Amino acid sequence: MKRANDVIVGSVVLAVIAALIIGIVWVKQSDIGRRQLDVTAHFRDVGNARVGNSVVVRGVIGGRIEGIELAPNGWVNVRMKLDPSVRLPADPVVLLNESSLFGDWQATVVERRALPADAALAREVADASQVSGILPGASLPGIGKLTAVAGQIAGDVASVASRVGTAFDDSAARDLRASIRNVADLSTTLRGVAQAHASDLDTLGVQLRRAVTTLNRTAGVVEITARRLDSATTSDQFRQLVTNFSDAAFELRHAASQVRDLTTRLQSTQARAEAFLAVGDSVLSKMNRGQGTFGLLLNDPSVYAHADSTLRELRALSADIRANPKRYLSVRLF
Amino acid sequence: MTALLLPVQRVGHVTRAMLGSVGRASRFVADSLRSLREGRTWSSQTVLQMRRLGVDSLPIAAFIALFTGIVLALLASYSFTGAVPLYFVGTLVEKTVTLELAPVLTGLALAGRVGANIAAELGTMRVTEQLDALETLGYDPFAFLVVPRVIAGIVMFPLVVGAAMIIGVAAGGLASVFLLHLSAAEFTKGLRLFFQTFDVQYGLVKSASFGAAVTFIGAASGMRASGGAVGVGRACTRAVVFSAVLILVLDALWAVTWLLGRSPT
Repeated sequence: MKRANDVIVGSVVLAVIAALIIGIVWVKQSDIGRRQLDVTAHFRDVGNARVGNSVVVRGVIGGRIEGIELAPNGWVNVRMKLDPSVRLPADPVVLLNESSLFGDWQATVVERRALPADAALAREVADASQVSGILPGASLPGIGKLTAVAGQIAGDVASVASRVGTAFDDSAARDLRASIRNVADLSTTLRGVAQAHASDLDTLGVQLRRAVTTLNRTAGVVEITARRLDSATTSDQFRQLVTNFSDAAFELRHAASQVRDLTTRLQSTQARAEAFLAVGDSVLSKMNRGQGTFGLLLNDPSVYAHADSTLRELRALSADIRANPKRYLSVRLF
Repeated sequence: MTALLLPVQRVGHVTRAMLGSVGRASRFVADSLRSLREGRTWSSQTVLQMRRLGVDSLPIAAFIALFTGIVLALLASYSFTGAVPLYFVGTLVEKTVTLELAPVLTGLALAGRVGANIAAELGTMRVTEQLDALETLGYDPFAFLVVPRVIAGIVMFPLVVGAAMIIGVAAGGLASVFLLHLSAAEFTKGLRLFFQTFDVQYGLVKSASFGAAVTFIGAASGMRASGGAVGVGRACTRAVVFSAVLILVLDALWAVTWLLGRSPT
Protein backbone atom coordinates (compact mmCIF):
# COMPACT_ATOMS: atom_id res chain seq x y z
CA MET A 1 0.00 0.00 0.00
CA LYS A 2 2.77 2.35 0.98
CA ARG A 3 4.65 1.54 -2.20
CA ALA A 4 1.58 2.10 -4.29
CA ASN A 5 1.10 5.48 -2.67
CA ASP A 6 4.69 6.39 -3.48
CA VAL A 7 4.27 5.40 -7.10
CA ILE A 8 0.99 7.29 -7.51
CA VAL A 9 2.17 10.44 -5.78
CA GLY A 10 5.50 10.36 -7.61
CA SER A 11 3.79 9.90 -10.96
CA VAL A 12 1.41 12.77 -10.37
CA VAL A 13 4.16 15.08 -9.17
CA LEU A 14 6.38 14.30 -12.12
CA ALA A 15 3.53 14.48 -14.61
CA VAL A 16 2.32 17.85 -13.41
CA ILE A 17 5.85 19.29 -13.26
CA ALA A 18 6.60 17.97 -16.74
CA ALA A 19 3.33 19.33 -18.08
CA LEU A 20 4.01 22.74 -16.57
CA ILE A 21 7.55 22.87 -17.97
CA ILE A 22 6.44 21.72 -21.41
CA GLY A 23 3.57 24.21 -21.36
CA ILE A 24 5.81 27.12 -20.41
CA VAL A 25 8.42 26.18 -22.99
CA TRP A 26 5.75 25.87 -25.66
CA VAL A 27 4.08 29.16 -24.80
CA LYS A 28 7.37 31.03 -24.63
CA GLN A 29 8.53 29.34 -27.84
CA SER A 30 11.87 28.56 -26.27
CA ASP A 31 14.22 26.49 -28.39
CA ILE A 32 16.18 24.20 -26.09
CA GLY A 33 19.48 22.96 -27.47
CA ARG A 34 18.93 24.41 -30.93
CA ARG A 35 21.69 26.46 -32.56
CA GLN A 36 20.67 29.91 -33.52
CA LEU A 37 22.11 32.84 -35.40
CA ASP A 38 23.20 35.71 -33.15
CA VAL A 39 22.75 39.19 -34.56
CA THR A 40 23.41 42.50 -32.78
CA ALA A 41 22.06 45.87 -33.88
CA HIS A 42 23.01 49.36 -32.82
CA PHE A 43 20.40 51.96 -31.84
CA ARG A 44 20.22 55.42 -30.37
CA ASP A 45 16.88 54.62 -28.77
CA VAL A 46 14.93 51.37 -28.63
CA GLY A 47 11.53 52.86 -27.82
CA ASN A 48 9.31 50.28 -26.16
CA ALA A 49 11.12 47.24 -27.55
CA ARG A 50 11.54 44.54 -24.92
CA VAL A 51 13.31 41.23 -24.55
CA GLY A 52 11.17 38.55 -26.16
CA ASN A 53 9.76 40.75 -28.93
CA SER A 54 9.67 39.18 -32.38
CA VAL A 55 12.26 39.73 -35.09
CA VAL A 56 10.55 39.91 -38.47
CA VAL A 57 12.33 39.27 -41.75
CA ARG A 58 10.33 39.87 -44.92
CA GLY A 59 7.10 39.80 -42.87
CA VAL A 60 7.85 36.45 -41.23
CA ILE A 61 8.82 35.99 -37.59
CA GLY A 62 12.39 34.71 -37.77
CA GLY A 63 13.57 35.11 -34.20
CA ARG A 64 13.37 36.98 -30.92
CA ILE A 65 15.12 39.78 -29.12
CA GLU A 66 17.41 38.16 -26.57
CA GLY A 67 18.88 41.16 -24.84
CA ILE A 68 18.92 44.95 -24.74
CA GLU A 69 22.00 46.60 -23.28
CA LEU A 70 23.32 50.11 -22.97
CA ALA A 71 26.54 50.65 -24.96
CA PRO A 72 29.17 53.42 -24.75
CA ASN A 73 28.68 56.85 -26.37
CA GLY A 74 24.92 56.86 -25.97
CA TRP A 75 24.18 53.72 -27.96
CA VAL A 76 21.96 50.77 -27.18
CA ASN A 77 22.82 47.29 -28.42
CA VAL A 78 20.01 44.86 -29.16
CA ARG A 79 20.95 41.21 -29.33
CA MET A 80 18.71 39.01 -31.44
CA LYS A 81 18.59 35.27 -31.96
CA LEU A 82 17.45 34.26 -35.41
CA ASP A 83 16.48 30.95 -36.86
CA PRO A 84 19.49 29.45 -38.71
CA SER A 85 17.39 29.15 -41.85
CA VAL A 86 16.84 32.91 -41.98
CA ARG A 87 18.82 34.65 -44.72
CA LEU A 88 19.37 38.35 -44.01
CA PRO A 89 19.12 40.90 -46.85
CA ALA A 90 22.28 42.10 -48.63
CA ASP A 91 22.66 45.38 -46.71
CA PRO A 92 20.51 44.80 -43.62
CA VAL A 93 19.13 47.48 -41.35
CA VAL A 94 17.07 46.78 -38.22
CA LEU A 95 14.04 48.93 -37.55
CA LEU A 96 12.22 48.88 -34.24
CA ASN A 97 8.56 49.63 -34.71
CA GLU A 98 5.18 48.95 -33.24
CA SER A 99 3.57 45.75 -34.43
CA SER A 100 0.09 46.62 -33.20
CA LEU A 101 -1.93 49.38 -31.63
CA PHE A 102 -1.70 47.61 -28.31
CA GLY A 103 1.87 48.52 -27.56
CA ASP A 104 3.66 45.46 -28.98
CA TRP A 105 6.96 46.20 -30.66
CA GLN A 106 9.03 44.19 -33.07
CA ALA A 107 12.38 44.36 -34.79
CA THR A 108 12.08 44.35 -38.55
CA VAL A 109 15.14 43.50 -40.65
CA VAL A 110 14.99 45.29 -44.00
CA GLU A 111 17.35 46.12 -46.81
CA ARG A 112 18.85 49.61 -46.60
CA ARG A 113 17.42 50.70 -49.93
CA ALA A 114 13.94 49.59 -48.77
CA LEU A 115 13.96 52.04 -45.86
CA PRO A 116 11.04 54.47 -45.67
CA ALA A 117 11.81 57.81 -47.35
CA ASP A 118 12.49 59.88 -44.24
CA ALA A 119 15.48 62.18 -43.83
CA ALA A 120 15.68 61.80 -40.03
CA LEU A 121 15.53 58.01 -40.32
CA ALA A 122 18.23 57.99 -43.01
CA ARG A 123 20.47 60.19 -40.80
CA GLU A 124 19.92 57.87 -37.80
CA VAL A 125 20.77 54.78 -39.85
CA ALA A 126 23.84 56.46 -41.34
CA ASP A 127 24.94 57.45 -37.85
CA ALA A 128 24.49 53.89 -36.61
CA SER A 129 26.43 52.43 -39.54
CA GLN A 130 29.79 53.62 -38.19
CA VAL A 131 30.53 50.48 -36.15
CA SER A 132 31.58 47.40 -38.12
CA GLY A 133 30.23 43.97 -37.24
CA ILE A 134 27.02 45.40 -35.80
CA LEU A 135 23.93 46.05 -37.84
CA PRO A 136 22.71 49.65 -37.96
CA GLY A 137 19.32 50.27 -36.48
CA ALA A 138 16.72 52.94 -35.94
CA SER A 139 13.42 53.13 -34.13
CA LEU A 140 10.29 54.42 -35.81
CA PRO A 141 8.01 56.77 -33.92
CA GLY A 142 5.22 54.96 -32.14
CA ILE A 143 2.09 55.79 -30.31
CA GLY A 144 4.28 56.90 -27.41
CA LYS A 145 5.85 59.67 -29.45
CA LEU A 146 2.49 60.71 -30.78
CA THR A 147 1.15 60.89 -27.26
CA ALA A 148 4.24 62.89 -26.29
CA VAL A 149 3.38 65.39 -29.02
CA ALA A 150 -0.20 65.37 -27.77
CA GLY A 151 1.16 66.03 -24.29
CA GLN A 152 3.15 68.98 -25.63
CA ILE A 153 0.00 70.34 -27.25
CA ALA A 154 -1.82 69.86 -23.98
CA GLY A 155 0.96 71.83 -22.25
CA ASP A 156 0.55 74.64 -24.77
CA VAL A 157 -3.18 74.65 -24.17
CA ALA A 158 -2.53 74.78 -20.43
CA SER A 159 -0.20 77.79 -20.87
CA VAL A 160 -2.83 79.52 -23.01
CA ALA A 161 -5.38 78.76 -20.32
CA SER A 162 -3.07 80.23 -17.68
CA ARG A 163 -2.67 83.35 -19.83
CA VAL A 164 -6.40 83.62 -20.10
CA GLY A 165 -6.50 83.24 -16.33
CA THR A 166 -4.02 86.10 -16.00
CA ALA A 167 -6.04 88.26 -18.38
CA PHE A 168 -9.14 87.49 -16.45
CA ASP A 169 -8.27 89.82 -13.58
CA ASP A 170 -10.41 91.45 -10.87
CA SER A 171 -11.84 94.13 -13.12
CA ALA A 172 -12.86 91.50 -15.68
CA ALA A 173 -14.46 89.53 -12.87
CA ARG A 174 -16.27 92.67 -11.69
CA ASP A 175 -17.49 93.31 -15.23
CA LEU A 176 -18.63 89.74 -15.49
CA ARG A 177 -20.43 90.03 -12.16
CA ALA A 178 -22.10 93.23 -13.36
CA SER A 179 -23.11 91.50 -16.58
CA ILE A 180 -24.54 88.62 -14.64
CA ARG A 181 -26.44 91.07 -12.43
CA ASN A 182 -27.78 92.80 -15.54
CA VAL A 183 -28.87 89.49 -16.97
CA ALA A 184 -30.58 88.72 -13.65
CA ASP A 185 -32.38 92.09 -13.75
CA LEU A 186 -33.36 91.47 -17.33
CA SER A 187 -34.73 88.08 -16.48
CA THR A 188 -36.71 89.63 -13.58
CA THR A 189 -38.14 92.23 -15.94
CA LEU A 190 -38.96 89.58 -18.48
CA ARG A 191 -40.69 87.59 -15.79
CA GLY A 192 -42.75 90.64 -14.84
CA VAL A 193 -43.66 91.22 -18.46
CA ALA A 194 -44.60 87.63 -18.85
CA GLN A 195 -46.76 87.77 -15.73
CA ALA A 196 -48.40 91.02 -16.93
CA HIS A 197 -49.21 89.49 -20.29
CA ALA A 198 -50.26 86.19 -18.91
CA SER A 199 -53.96 87.03 -19.26
CA ASP A 200 -53.37 88.23 -22.84
CA LEU A 201 -51.59 85.02 -23.53
CA ASP A 202 -54.50 83.14 -22.02
CA THR A 203 -56.94 85.03 -24.25
CA LEU A 204 -54.73 84.39 -27.21
CA GLY A 205 -54.67 80.74 -26.28
CA VAL A 206 -58.48 80.63 -26.06
CA GLN A 207 -58.78 82.35 -29.40
CA LEU A 208 -56.25 80.04 -30.88
CA ARG A 209 -58.23 77.12 -29.51
CA ARG A 210 -61.39 78.53 -31.06
CA ALA A 211 -59.59 79.03 -34.35
CA VAL A 212 -58.46 75.48 -34.22
CA THR A 213 -62.01 74.36 -33.50
CA THR A 214 -63.27 76.40 -36.45
CA LEU A 215 -60.57 74.93 -38.62
CA ASN A 216 -61.61 71.50 -37.50
CA ARG A 217 -65.20 72.31 -38.35
CA THR A 218 -64.13 73.67 -41.75
CA ALA A 219 -62.14 70.58 -42.33
CA GLY A 220 -65.26 68.58 -41.54
CA VAL A 221 -67.25 70.60 -44.03
CA VAL A 222 -64.54 70.15 -46.63
CA GLU A 223 -64.61 66.48 -45.93
CA ILE A 224 -68.38 66.37 -46.36
CA THR A 225 -68.03 68.38 -49.59
CA ALA A 226 -65.38 66.01 -50.78
CA ARG A 227 -67.68 63.14 -49.95
CA ARG A 228 -70.49 64.80 -51.88
CA LEU A 229 -68.15 65.45 -54.77
CA ASP A 230 -67.19 61.86 -54.58
CA SER A 231 -70.82 60.78 -54.67
CA ALA A 232 -71.44 63.25 -57.52
CA THR A 233 -68.59 61.72 -59.37
CA THR A 234 -70.06 58.33 -58.94
CA SER A 235 -73.51 59.53 -60.26
CA ASP A 236 -74.09 61.30 -63.66
CA GLN A 237 -74.21 64.82 -62.22
CA PHE A 238 -70.56 65.41 -62.56
CA ARG A 239 -70.56 64.43 -66.23
CA GLN A 240 -73.38 66.95 -66.86
CA LEU A 241 -71.46 69.56 -64.98
CA VAL A 242 -68.41 68.94 -67.14
CA THR A 243 -70.55 69.16 -70.31
CA ASN A 244 -72.02 72.47 -69.15
CA PHE A 245 -68.57 73.73 -68.39
CA SER A 246 -67.47 72.68 -71.88
CA ASP A 247 -70.38 74.60 -73.51
CA ALA A 248 -69.68 77.65 -71.43
CA ALA A 249 -66.05 77.47 -72.40
CA PHE A 250 -67.00 77.31 -76.11
CA GLU A 251 -69.21 80.38 -75.77
CA LEU A 252 -66.54 82.15 -73.86
CA ARG A 253 -64.08 81.32 -76.61
CA HIS A 254 -66.52 82.73 -79.24
CA ALA A 255 -67.04 85.92 -77.20
CA ALA A 256 -63.31 86.26 -76.82
CA SER A 257 -62.82 86.09 -80.62
CA GLN A 258 -65.44 88.80 -81.09
CA VAL A 259 -63.78 90.93 -78.51
CA ARG A 260 -60.50 90.35 -80.32
CA ASP A 261 -62.04 91.60 -83.67
CA LEU A 262 -63.50 94.60 -81.91
CA THR A 263 -60.14 95.32 -80.36
CA THR A 264 -58.49 95.12 -83.81
CA ARG A 265 -60.98 97.59 -85.20
CA LEU A 266 -60.60 99.86 -82.29
CA GLN A 267 -56.86 99.73 -82.83
CA SER A 268 -57.24 100.94 -86.50
CA THR A 269 -59.68 103.69 -85.40
CA GLN A 270 -57.22 104.71 -82.74
CA ALA A 271 -54.47 104.87 -85.36
CA ARG A 272 -56.61 107.10 -87.58
CA ALA A 273 -57.54 109.31 -84.63
CA GLU A 274 -53.88 109.56 -83.73
CA ALA A 275 -53.04 110.60 -87.33
CA PHE A 276 -55.87 113.15 -87.28
CA LEU A 277 -54.71 114.51 -84.00
CA ALA A 278 -51.16 114.69 -85.33
CA VAL A 279 -52.34 116.71 -88.32
CA GLY A 280 -54.46 118.97 -86.07
CA ASP A 281 -51.51 119.35 -83.79
CA SER A 282 -49.35 120.39 -86.75
CA VAL A 283 -51.97 122.93 -87.94
CA LEU A 284 -52.33 124.32 -84.46
CA SER A 285 -48.57 124.54 -84.13
CA LYS A 286 -48.35 126.48 -87.36
CA MET A 287 -51.20 128.72 -86.27
CA ASN A 288 -49.42 129.23 -82.99
CA ARG A 289 -46.24 130.14 -84.77
CA GLY A 290 -48.16 132.75 -86.83
CA GLN A 291 -47.90 130.88 -90.13
CA GLY A 292 -50.79 131.12 -92.60
CA THR A 293 -53.89 133.34 -92.57
CA PHE A 294 -55.28 131.92 -89.36
CA GLY A 295 -51.91 132.24 -87.75
CA LEU A 296 -51.68 135.88 -88.78
CA LEU A 297 -55.23 136.49 -87.61
CA LEU A 298 -54.49 134.90 -84.31
CA ASN A 299 -51.05 136.26 -83.69
CA ASP A 300 -50.81 139.73 -85.40
CA PRO A 301 -52.29 142.49 -83.12
CA SER A 302 -52.30 145.06 -85.95
CA VAL A 303 -54.89 142.98 -87.80
CA TYR A 304 -57.09 143.17 -84.74
CA ALA A 305 -56.55 146.93 -84.50
CA HIS A 306 -57.40 147.43 -88.20
CA ALA A 307 -60.47 145.24 -87.92
CA ASP A 308 -61.58 147.07 -84.81
CA SER A 309 -61.16 150.54 -86.42
CA THR A 310 -62.91 149.25 -89.54
CA LEU A 311 -65.77 147.99 -87.44
CA ARG A 312 -66.01 151.26 -85.61
CA GLU A 313 -66.02 153.16 -88.95
CA LEU A 314 -68.66 150.79 -90.28
CA ARG A 315 -70.76 151.37 -87.16
CA ALA A 316 -70.39 155.23 -87.67
CA LEU A 317 -71.19 154.84 -91.33
CA SER A 318 -74.27 152.86 -90.53
CA ALA A 319 -75.43 155.45 -88.03
CA ASP A 320 -74.77 158.19 -90.56
CA ILE A 321 -76.69 156.28 -93.20
CA ARG A 322 -79.60 155.86 -90.83
CA ALA A 323 -79.47 159.60 -90.01
CA ASN A 324 -78.92 160.95 -93.46
CA PRO A 325 -80.14 158.39 -95.92
CA LYS A 326 -80.41 160.95 -98.64
CA ARG A 327 -76.76 161.57 -98.55
CA TYR A 328 -76.11 158.20 -99.71
CA LEU A 329 -79.30 157.28 -101.46
CA SER A 330 -80.84 159.30 -104.27
CA VAL A 331 -83.86 157.89 -105.90
CA ARG A 332 -84.65 159.31 -109.21
CA LEU A 333 -87.50 158.46 -111.39
CA PHE A 334 -86.64 159.15 -114.88
CA MET B 1 -19.82 52.97 38.14
CA THR B 2 -20.31 49.35 37.19
CA ALA B 3 -22.40 50.42 34.18
CA LEU B 4 -19.62 52.75 33.05
CA LEU B 5 -16.99 50.04 33.34
CA LEU B 6 -19.02 47.46 31.43
CA PRO B 7 -18.12 48.64 27.87
CA VAL B 8 -14.45 48.94 28.82
CA GLN B 9 -14.54 45.47 30.28
CA ARG B 10 -16.15 44.18 27.06
CA VAL B 11 -13.46 45.76 24.85
CA GLY B 12 -10.80 44.27 27.07
CA HIS B 13 -12.42 40.84 26.83
CA VAL B 14 -12.60 40.95 23.03
CA THR B 15 -8.99 42.14 22.77
CA ARG B 16 -7.80 39.39 25.09
CA ALA B 17 -9.77 36.80 23.13
CA MET B 18 -8.29 38.01 19.83
CA LEU B 19 -4.78 38.08 21.17
CA GLY B 20 -5.40 34.68 22.75
CA SER B 21 -6.39 33.29 19.33
CA VAL B 22 -3.29 34.78 17.71
CA GLY B 23 -1.17 33.43 20.52
CA ARG B 24 -2.67 29.94 20.25
CA ALA B 25 -2.21 29.94 16.47
CA SER B 26 1.40 31.12 16.83
CA ARG B 27 2.08 28.48 19.42
CA PHE B 28 0.52 25.84 17.18
CA VAL B 29 2.74 26.88 14.26
CA ALA B 30 5.78 27.02 16.52
CA ASP B 31 5.06 23.51 17.84
CA SER B 32 4.65 22.22 14.29
CA LEU B 33 7.94 23.79 13.19
CA ARG B 34 9.66 22.36 16.25
CA SER B 35 8.34 18.90 15.30
CA LEU B 36 10.10 19.15 11.92
CA ARG B 37 13.14 17.85 13.75
CA GLU B 38 11.47 14.45 14.10
CA GLY B 39 11.87 13.59 10.46
CA ARG B 40 11.56 9.87 10.98
CA THR B 41 8.09 10.29 12.44
CA TRP B 42 6.54 12.60 9.84
CA SER B 43 8.32 11.34 6.70
CA SER B 44 6.54 7.99 6.90
CA GLN B 45 3.16 9.69 6.81
CA THR B 46 3.88 12.44 4.29
CA VAL B 47 3.46 10.48 1.06
CA LEU B 48 0.17 9.05 2.27
CA GLN B 49 -1.08 12.55 3.04
CA MET B 50 0.20 13.80 -0.32
CA ARG B 51 -1.92 11.23 -2.03
CA ARG B 52 -4.99 11.93 0.10
CA LEU B 53 -4.75 15.71 0.00
CA GLY B 54 -3.22 16.17 -3.44
CA VAL B 55 -3.71 13.33 -5.85
CA ASP B 56 -7.24 12.59 -4.70
CA SER B 57 -8.11 16.29 -5.08
CA LEU B 58 -7.10 16.38 -8.75
CA PRO B 59 -10.54 15.47 -10.16
CA ILE B 60 -12.37 18.28 -8.35
CA ALA B 61 -9.63 20.76 -9.31
CA ALA B 62 -9.77 19.61 -12.92
CA PHE B 63 -13.55 19.90 -12.96
CA ILE B 64 -13.43 23.47 -11.62
CA ALA B 65 -10.64 24.50 -14.00
CA LEU B 66 -12.42 22.99 -17.01
CA PHE B 67 -15.56 25.03 -16.54
CA THR B 68 -13.69 28.13 -15.43
CA GLY B 69 -11.64 28.10 -18.63
CA ILE B 70 -14.72 27.66 -20.83
CA VAL B 71 -16.69 30.40 -19.08
CA LEU B 72 -13.71 32.77 -19.13
CA ALA B 73 -13.28 32.38 -22.87
CA LEU B 74 -16.97 33.05 -23.46
CA LEU B 75 -16.99 36.04 -21.11
CA ALA B 76 -13.89 37.44 -22.78
CA SER B 77 -15.37 37.15 -26.25
CA TYR B 78 -18.58 38.77 -24.99
CA SER B 79 -16.62 41.68 -23.55
CA PHE B 80 -14.30 42.10 -26.53
CA THR B 81 -16.96 42.05 -29.25
CA GLY B 82 -16.22 44.77 -31.78
CA ALA B 83 -13.72 46.62 -29.63
CA VAL B 84 -10.72 44.38 -29.04
CA PRO B 85 -9.29 41.71 -31.37
CA LEU B 86 -10.67 38.33 -30.44
CA TYR B 87 -7.25 36.74 -30.07
CA PHE B 88 -7.00 38.63 -26.77
CA VAL B 89 -9.30 35.90 -25.43
CA GLY B 90 -6.13 33.81 -25.15
CA THR B 91 -4.35 36.56 -23.24
CA LEU B 92 -7.22 37.03 -20.83
CA VAL B 93 -7.70 33.32 -20.23
CA GLU B 94 -3.99 32.79 -19.60
CA LYS B 95 -3.57 35.76 -17.29
CA THR B 96 -6.76 35.18 -15.33
CA VAL B 97 -6.37 31.45 -14.93
CA THR B 98 -2.70 31.42 -13.98
CA LEU B 99 -2.63 34.52 -11.81
CA GLU B 100 -5.94 34.28 -10.02
CA LEU B 101 -8.65 31.80 -10.78
CA ALA B 102 -6.76 28.52 -10.70
CA PRO B 103 -5.05 29.25 -7.36
CA VAL B 104 -8.03 30.83 -5.64
CA LEU B 105 -10.86 28.61 -6.87
CA THR B 106 -8.82 25.48 -6.37
CA GLY B 107 -7.73 26.76 -2.96
CA LEU B 108 -11.33 27.39 -1.94
CA ALA B 109 -12.42 23.98 -3.18
CA LEU B 110 -9.58 22.31 -1.32
CA ALA B 111 -10.33 24.38 1.77
CA GLY B 112 -13.65 22.58 1.86
CA ARG B 113 -12.35 19.18 0.94
CA VAL B 114 -8.96 19.08 2.65
CA GLY B 115 -9.56 21.48 5.54
CA ALA B 116 -12.77 19.75 6.61
CA ASN B 117 -11.15 16.34 6.18
CA ILE B 118 -8.21 17.20 8.43
CA ALA B 119 -10.40 18.91 11.03
CA ALA B 120 -12.83 15.98 11.14
CA GLU B 121 -10.07 13.37 11.37
CA LEU B 122 -8.01 15.10 14.03
CA GLY B 123 -11.14 16.28 15.87
CA THR B 124 -12.44 12.73 16.09
CA MET B 125 -9.03 11.58 17.34
CA ARG B 126 -9.12 14.35 19.93
CA VAL B 127 -12.65 13.60 21.25
CA THR B 128 -11.96 9.86 21.28
CA GLU B 129 -8.71 10.53 23.17
CA GLN B 130 -6.55 8.91 20.49
CA LEU B 131 -4.26 11.93 20.61
CA ASP B 132 -3.79 11.40 24.33
CA ALA B 133 -2.97 7.77 23.61
CA LEU B 134 -0.34 8.81 21.07
CA GLU B 135 1.24 11.14 23.60
CA THR B 136 1.15 8.37 26.17
CA LEU B 137 2.97 6.10 23.71
CA GLY B 138 5.65 8.75 23.27
CA TYR B 139 4.60 9.96 19.84
CA ASP B 140 4.61 13.67 19.18
CA PRO B 141 1.13 14.28 17.73
CA PHE B 142 2.43 17.33 15.82
CA ALA B 143 5.15 15.31 14.12
CA PHE B 144 2.86 12.37 13.46
CA LEU B 145 -0.35 14.16 12.45
CA VAL B 146 0.20 17.85 11.70
CA VAL B 147 3.57 18.12 9.96
CA PRO B 148 2.87 15.46 7.27
CA ARG B 149 -0.41 17.15 6.41
CA VAL B 150 1.11 20.64 6.28
CA ILE B 151 4.02 19.45 4.13
CA ALA B 152 1.62 17.58 1.88
CA GLY B 153 -0.51 20.70 1.58
CA ILE B 154 2.46 22.95 0.77
CA VAL B 155 3.80 20.52 -1.83
CA MET B 156 0.60 19.24 -3.37
CA PHE B 157 -1.46 22.43 -3.57
CA PRO B 158 0.88 23.99 -6.19
CA LEU B 159 0.82 20.74 -8.16
CA VAL B 160 -2.95 20.57 -8.14
CA VAL B 161 -3.12 24.26 -9.04
CA GLY B 162 -0.52 23.72 -11.80
CA ALA B 163 -2.69 20.99 -13.25
CA ALA B 164 -5.70 23.29 -12.94
CA MET B 165 -3.81 26.00 -14.84
CA ILE B 166 -3.06 23.66 -17.73
CA ILE B 167 -6.60 22.32 -17.83
CA GLY B 168 -8.14 25.81 -17.51
CA VAL B 169 -6.10 27.31 -20.34
CA ALA B 170 -6.66 24.25 -22.53
CA ALA B 171 -10.41 24.39 -21.85
CA GLY B 172 -10.40 28.09 -22.73
CA GLY B 173 -8.59 27.28 -25.96
CA LEU B 174 -10.99 24.51 -26.88
CA ALA B 175 -13.98 26.73 -26.09
CA SER B 176 -12.49 29.48 -28.26
CA VAL B 177 -11.97 27.11 -31.17
CA PHE B 178 -15.26 25.24 -30.99
CA LEU B 179 -17.64 27.86 -29.60
CA LEU B 180 -16.16 31.18 -30.70
CA HIS B 181 -14.81 30.06 -34.10
CA LEU B 182 -11.42 31.44 -33.16
CA SER B 183 -8.56 29.57 -34.79
CA ALA B 184 -6.12 27.71 -32.58
CA ALA B 185 -3.33 29.87 -34.00
CA GLU B 186 -5.12 33.07 -32.98
CA PHE B 187 -5.78 31.78 -29.47
CA THR B 188 -2.12 30.74 -29.19
CA LYS B 189 -1.05 34.17 -30.44
CA GLY B 190 -3.06 35.86 -27.69
CA LEU B 191 -1.81 33.31 -25.17
CA ARG B 192 1.82 34.03 -26.01
CA LEU B 193 1.41 37.77 -26.41
CA PHE B 194 1.84 38.75 -22.77
CA PHE B 195 2.81 35.41 -21.22
CA GLN B 196 5.51 35.50 -18.61
CA THR B 197 6.96 32.70 -16.53
CA PHE B 198 6.24 34.94 -13.56
CA ASP B 199 2.50 34.37 -14.05
CA VAL B 200 2.89 30.65 -13.33
CA GLN B 201 5.45 31.26 -10.61
CA TYR B 202 3.15 33.73 -8.84
CA GLY B 203 0.19 31.34 -8.98
CA LEU B 204 2.18 28.39 -7.69
CA VAL B 205 3.79 30.28 -4.80
CA LYS B 206 0.41 31.69 -3.84
CA SER B 207 -1.16 28.26 -3.88
CA ALA B 208 1.62 26.88 -1.67
CA SER B 209 0.73 29.52 0.91
CA PHE B 210 -2.93 28.50 0.55
CA GLY B 211 -1.95 24.89 1.16
CA ALA B 212 -0.08 25.83 4.32
CA ALA B 213 -3.00 27.94 5.57
CA VAL B 214 -5.65 25.30 4.87
CA THR B 215 -3.73 22.45 6.49
CA PHE B 216 -2.63 24.48 9.51
CA ILE B 217 -6.17 25.74 10.16
CA GLY B 218 -7.69 22.28 9.63
CA ALA B 219 -5.19 20.65 11.96
CA ALA B 220 -5.51 23.38 14.62
CA SER B 221 -9.32 23.24 14.55
CA GLY B 222 -9.32 19.46 14.78
CA MET B 223 -6.81 19.27 17.59
CA ARG B 224 -8.75 21.80 19.63
CA ALA B 225 -12.11 20.06 19.12
CA SER B 226 -14.07 19.12 22.22
CA GLY B 227 -17.56 17.96 23.08
CA GLY B 228 -18.10 14.84 21.00
CA ALA B 229 -19.61 14.77 17.53
CA VAL B 230 -21.01 18.27 17.85
CA GLY B 231 -17.56 19.59 18.69
CA VAL B 232 -16.08 17.80 15.67
CA GLY B 233 -18.76 19.34 13.45
CA ARG B 234 -18.00 22.77 14.83
CA ALA B 235 -14.30 22.21 14.23
CA CYS B 236 -14.99 21.26 10.61
CA THR B 237 -17.13 24.35 10.06
CA ARG B 238 -14.54 26.59 11.67
CA ALA B 239 -11.76 25.06 9.59
CA VAL B 240 -13.59 25.59 6.29
CA VAL B 241 -14.72 29.14 7.09
CA PHE B 242 -11.35 30.28 8.43
CA SER B 243 -9.50 28.64 5.55
CA ALA B 244 -11.70 30.33 2.95
CA VAL B 245 -11.30 33.71 4.61
CA LEU B 246 -7.56 33.27 4.98
CA ILE B 247 -7.20 32.26 1.33
CA LEU B 248 -8.81 35.52 0.25
CA VAL B 249 -6.73 37.52 2.71
CA LEU B 250 -3.53 35.84 1.51
CA ASP B 251 -4.56 36.42 -2.09
CA ALA B 252 -4.87 40.14 -1.44
CA LEU B 253 -1.63 40.12 0.54
CA TRP B 254 0.32 38.49 -2.28
CA ALA B 255 -1.17 40.91 -4.78
CA VAL B 256 -0.15 43.89 -2.69
CA THR B 257 3.30 42.66 -1.78
CA TRP B 258 4.39 40.95 -4.99
CA LEU B 259 2.19 42.09 -7.85
CA LEU B 260 1.76 45.76 -7.05
CA GLY B 261 4.29 47.98 -8.76
CA ARG B 262 5.67 45.14 -10.86
CA SER B 263 6.15 46.04 -14.53
CA PRO B 264 3.87 44.00 -16.81
CA THR B 265 6.76 43.28 -19.19
